[in-house]
Amino acid sequence: MCPSVVPTVERSVVRFGRAPRITKHLRRDRRTNLPQPHVNVVTRDFAPSRLEDHYYATLRDDLMYMTYKHENPETRKKPREIRLKFDPDDPYTKNRKNPPVGGSQLGRKPAPLVTPENVLRLETISIHTMVKEAISNKSNILGAIMALRALTGETHKGGGRHAVEGIQIVKGKKSVGGWIRPGVPVGVKVDLKGQSMYDFLGTLVEFVLPRMRDFNGVVLPPQSSSVNSPSAVSGVVSFGLPPSAMGLFPQVEVNLDAYPKSYGMHIHFVTNATGLGAQNRARTLVSGFQIPFLRR
Amino acid sequence: MICGNKFARCFKQQLDQAASTKMSAAARLGRRTLATVASPRPLITTAVILNRSPILTRSPSLFERAYYAYQARIRRALHNPFPYDFYFKQGSLLEKRFIQEERKRERRAFGPSFGAQEDVSEEERAATKAALDTLAQQEGEGEDLLPRVHPSDSNRDYQSLDRKGRRNIYLLLQTLESGRDVWRFPRGTLQKEELLHEAAQRDLQTECGEYMDSWIVSRKPVGVYKPTVSNGSPEELTFFFKAHIMAGQCRPQGESVKDFAWLTKQEVESRVDGKYWSGIRDMLSDY
Repeated sequence: MCPSVVPTVERSVVRFGRAPRITKHLRRDRRTNLPQPHVNVVTRDFAPSRLEDHYYATLRDDLMYMTYKHENPETRKKPREIRLKFDPDDPYTKNRKNPPVGGSQLGRKPAPLVTPENVLRLETISIHTMVKEAISNKSNILGAIMALRALTGETHKGGGRHAVEGIQIVKGKKSVGGWIRPGVPVGVKVDLKGQSMYDFLGTLVEFVLPRMRDFNGVVLPPQSSSVNSPSAVSGVVSFGLPPSAMGLFPQVEVNLDAYPKSYGMHIHFVTNATGLGAQNRARTLVSGFQIPFLRR
Repeated sequence: MICGNKFARCFKQQLDQAASTKMSAAARLGRRTLATVASPRPLITTAVILNRSPILTRSPSLFERAYYAYQARIRRALHNPFPYDFYFKQGSLLEKRFIQEERKRERRAFGPSFGAQEDVSEEERAATKAALDTLAQQEGEGEDLLPRVHPSDSNRDYQSLDRKGRRNIYLLLQTLESGRDVWRFPRGTLQKEELLHEAAQRDLQTECGEYMDSWIVSRKPVGVYKPTVSNGSPEELTFFFKAHIMAGQCRPQGESVKDFAWLTKQEVESRVDGKYWSGIRDMLSDY
């Protein structure tokens, strides 16, 4: 007897069945008259991320081996106790800001112990651009907003996630005579996390940086620069792109003439590195994603 | 990652243990002894885990593909309105192409009957299609992608660096040791007044040749292995260093090295002996 052959049906994973018939209608929003789902619909990753895979498969192990320091947490030197500015027992100072004498000692905090939980990782990429013409005419900021939207694909509460703020408008804080006033829009910024962060990083290192003629790498500060400065201990790597680089992004390149002008941008790679030497460790991580560095 | 941590901890334990035994021995003796009483110095060797990182993306599982398709569909249903009028000139070819592609994507997500039929004449439709086809041809669309399976995979060419593009592969050497064929990582002994990572670099060159661009990741070993030694001979310690190959290929040097192979973790297990495997297992990546 021949065994009965069960026909294997190749089921598509991207097709879905017919939507269920709506029997009970959803509540409608009074203002927009749109149906309101009774659950908060949130979307998550919708495609595999190549650079994220690269981080978890290769970079993370390497970074731990490179930054690992063999030390015993018990024998680690305790930080010197510094007197607080005000007497902590005084009821007047209770719940008030009471910093140590001589400042917060930010630049002197040692790096935390290297554990599997705090291996270097990229947390956010923050992009911002200033549009000077927006001070005289607000509508000039529109081109920059659209450019960043095209570059990052971020929109306000995109994918139903309330923490995604999309492209934000930066407003002036101070009044500087002849230049800026408080509340005036002067620029736009966007914070990227997760999938959109890795997508942007991939576009940057594969399409933009190799095609920039006069870019040889992010210039490192001179070796004599301070290791205690706030930037050196913050774990953020920053650099800027000139306006000419905007046309090299494929998302913008396709219809460059739709934008009133080209915008340059500042890019900050925010990592979880803290303590002494944090910026150098952050550079190690970022160079693992093929951002070149250059010492003058 | 987890394996790295385990080994960091294991390495630390080793060091602590060594320190404590030395301390207790000194305390027990409590007096100066002749040098001849001390046990012989351990024989220290360094080995290199030479790794070729994945060169292809991982293939998502069936579940992952279904998940991504589902999330993409919700995202498409919920997205904020797209400002066509800013990004495209009205009636331009780019806009037509975008609308056509968008319709295709929507039908894929929501079913073939989704969306209103466009009411354009047959000639107009044909003209648009012809214009879009020429545009696509000019931009070189529709080129075939390279296959994800390399010929070295189908030929079982274990020496090729192009094999198993989705996995981490490691260099293993086949050597003749006391009359037996043994598969192991490239290794060598530490010379006097030499640092461990320097020895690792030198030993890799002496066994695998200099036609290879490699980079040792850190100066710290990622693991340690203690082989069993016969009674009376000094204790042996092998420190492992992780390295990446950037270019070139291994060319075995010397007579003891008979063959080499680039292997995934599972293939390494099938070639090395049991004790060695239990020592190195956690230093290799599962991906």
